[in-house]
Amino acid sequence: MRFLALTGIQAALLALITAGAIVGLYFLKLRHRRLVIASSMLWGRVLDERQAQSLWEKLRRLISILAAVVIGLLIALAVARPEIHWLTGGGERTLLVLDTSPSMLARTSDGSTRWERAVAAALRTVNASAPSSEFRVADTAGRIDAAPTTDRREIREAIERMKPVSGTPSFPEKDTETAHVRFITDGVVSLALPRGTVRESVFEEADNVAITAFEIRSTATSALAYEAYLEIHNYGSRDRETHLAISGAGGQHIERTLNLKAGGEFGGSFDLSKFEGGGIRATIQAGGDALSLDDTAFAYLPIDRTAKTLLVTNGSPYLEALLKLDPLVDLTIIKPGQYQPDPSFDAYIFDGFAPMSAPPRPALFVGEVPNTNWLPQSKGTLAKPRFATWAEDHPVMRYVSLHDVALERAVQIENMEAQVLAETSDHAPLILASPEQQRPRWVLMAFSLKNTDFPLHSGFPLFVDNALGWMSREALALRRQPGVISVPLAQAEVKRLNGDRLESYARGNLTMFEAAEPGLYIATHEETRQYVAVNLASPQYSNLNKTVSLKDAPAAVTAGWLQQELWFYMLAGAALLLVVEWLTYHRGITV
Amino acid sequence: MAPTVSLFDDEFLKKLEYLSILSKRLFAGQLKAERRAMRRGTGLEFADYRQYVAGDDFRHLDWKAYLRLNKLILRLFEEEEDLPIYMFVDASQSMSYGNPTKFDYGRRVAAALCYIGLSNLDRVNVVAYANKVKGELQPQRGKGRIFRVFKFLEEMTTGGETNARESFKTYCTETRRRGLCVVISDFFDTSGFQSGLDILRHFKHDIFILHVASHEEVDPALKGELVLVDSENNVSREVTVTPSLLASYKAEYHRFCTDIESYCSKYQLGYVRTVTDFPFEELVLKVFRQGRFLK
Repeated sequence: MRFLALTGIQAALLALITAGAIVGLYFLKLRHRRLVIASSMLWGRVLDERQAQSLWEKLRRLISILAAVVIGLLIALAVARPEIHWLTGGGERTLLVLDTSPSMLARTSDGSTRWERAVAAALRTVNASAPSSEFRVADTAGRIDAAPTTDRREIREAIERMKPVSGTPSFPEKDTETAHVRFITDGVVSLALPRGTVRESVFEEADNVAITAFEIRSTATSALAYEAYLEIHNYGSRDRETHLAISGAGGQHIERTLNLKAGGEFGGSFDLSKFEGGGIRATIQAGGDALSLDDTAFAYLPIDRTAKTLLVTNGSPYLEALLKLDPLVDLTIIKPGQYQPDPSFDAYIFDGFAPMSAPPRPALFVGEVPNTNWLPQSKGTLAKPRFATWAEDHPVMRYVSLHDVALERAVQIENMEAQVLAETSDHAPLILASPEQQRPRWVLMAFSLKNTDFPLHSGFPLFVDNALGWMSREALALRRQPGVISVPLAQAEVKRLNGDRLESYARGNLTMFEAAEPGLYIATHEETRQYVAVNLASPQYSNLNKTVSLKDAPAAVTAGWLQQELWFYMLAGAALLLVVEWLTYHRGITV
Repeated sequence: MAPTVSLFDDEFLKKLEYLSILSKRLFAGQLKAERRAMRRGTGLEFADYRQYVAGDDFRHLDWKAYLRLNKLILRLFEEEEDLPIYMFVDASQSMSYGNPTKFDYGRRVAAALCYIGLSNLDRVNVVAYANKVKGELQPQRGKGRIFRVFKFLEEMTTGGETNARESFKTYCTETRRRGLCVVISDFFDTSGFQSGLDILRHFKHDIFILHVASHEEVDPALKGELVLVDSENNVSREVTVTPSLLASYKAEYHRFCTDIESYCSKYQLGYVRTVTDFPFEELVLKVFRQGRFLK
């Protein structure tokens, strides 16, 4: 036996004081009412006879005082919250983890979802546990990790706040005071569990046809030619006829019926050249599908338009020729002395020149530009540098090869925060770009076109086009999964395609918002807009039948006899005794 | 005590005048009255004949018998004398209990009986007793003395413990004529009610008992923790009055009354029990007549 609210000594002291006080008060209680009667002769006979005959008469006072002491002790010790392990069970801390991966949203044969089953199992575990048992409730998404508590209401609220989301699942760390760990899961996501974890399965086999990939990408032939890449998997045990529909903002659509074998997949590209720019939606329909979250996917198709570009140069034949040939560029050429900041242009290209203050629009700097206070400083000259590495995954360097590009001379740039797109083997940057979040963007070439054969290479026009695209054209949508989403825009306003605003909050240079369902979202900050395509698109979650807890059975919950803490029964007992004492007192059975 | 006289209205007193106290036995009286005596005398009712002897009152000779029989035969008549009535009123402290008090109720009954006795020219003695004789009204005779009786009763006070044996013994050992003893009491006598009545029986008195009780004694409405204080001796007892204890008390009280009644029945004593909330007139006019104490 132990006490949750007091130490053993404190509880004993409380009991002693209570018992002493009750005994003292019992003997100090109000004197009996005096009543004069004609004669006590007959009363005397009755009382003498009763006292002589009844053991109860002798014990009555003792029993009354005992009852009073017991009532007092029950109340006093109830305050100390006693706990008897075999009577009330546990008292230990349990880490109760619910798997919140999206596969938990799969519908089961009885119409409920795996998640609803998991919540019911969790509540069942909590309800069946010992009243003094502590629960720390957490999910695998890292969104909820409630502090350990015995308050059943708080525990239930924490469980009810949880919901399945995408993200990198992780199992909460078990602290030293945790005695039991219970994990309620469908086993689709495999996690490293602490030793001794009791895994309770809510898995039930389910059919699912899912879009596992959907993205818009530019073709290699043109920066403004896009195609949609789509992957569909049938994770069910039966062949499925699946209807695929891709629809665009301008009413264009592609429809196809696919026959997917059990475990089979479809992957292919769809030409979107006839689609207007805007949101693109892909949906599949297959009978008996258990998870709807992966039946829809969204993407964004950038809108075609020419970029109004200002070239500031003293003469650059390569650049002028290239830009004039580009149908997506509306070119204006001026001398450096004529330069005035003009926000009506979409982009600037400065050849061997840099204004003292940052231009209002994105800019490409070519050649040895003078030092300014807003661009990386030059600190010397590099003789015959060679491109050693370049960032192929950066939009500016996509499809651009710098192999065999010769450089006669370049400026040695002191890089502070900029992205290095190409550098020498000595890590001297040769091409830099502004940080991702910085607006307006810029790209800096640390060498003049006169000192290189780069314009003669096939990668040059791609590089210029990529740079203009990255700086001034609409970007492709960010790809995210349902859950908490971050956008690299500070204090952006987030809306759905239909204009409904979503609650968002800023965290540093990021804006966070929660998207529970697939969709296309628009984050806007001042004049910068970023599309976010939220799709489940995950073979990991969509494969509902790949489980590690197939053989797990619901685990039995160990609990004591009593469903409430002992103090509850003690107070109830005290109340009952008080009622009995009151009744017997007023009937003169006790004194 | 409220003036006793005022409690007897004229109509009630008229009714009382038609009543007379019955005695089961004949007692020798002192003065001529309306009650048949043991001896032959000068009354109006013929009783017997006997031979004339010298010295007899020749006015009672039956001259017609002498003419027929030539013998002097004397006619005898019943003597009518008064009846000595001793009215013992318990004036112990326990009689002051109840509402109205048993003492007041007993005094009113005593006053009524005295009035009946005086109306019938009986000799009425009133004795107040507790642990001894507290007061005595000398024998009164004739209706005109009723106010003395009232005054005596009015001046009586309660106090002390009950000891009927000592009181009756003191009173009866003085030279007294035998007569009718009316004992009005609650009989809460720690030495036992029998001992007092035994004394009266010993002196060959005819005894009539009026057992007065209060409603609070018969059916006490007590409850809870109490200290019961005896009004006579101030002895106190702590008691928790429970329904079962009350039932036991009532059984004890019933046994107590039954004992008195049995005693009276055994020795052919008149016995009437009443409670103080029983209508006084009804007690006197009906109950006493039904109990053949009055006619």
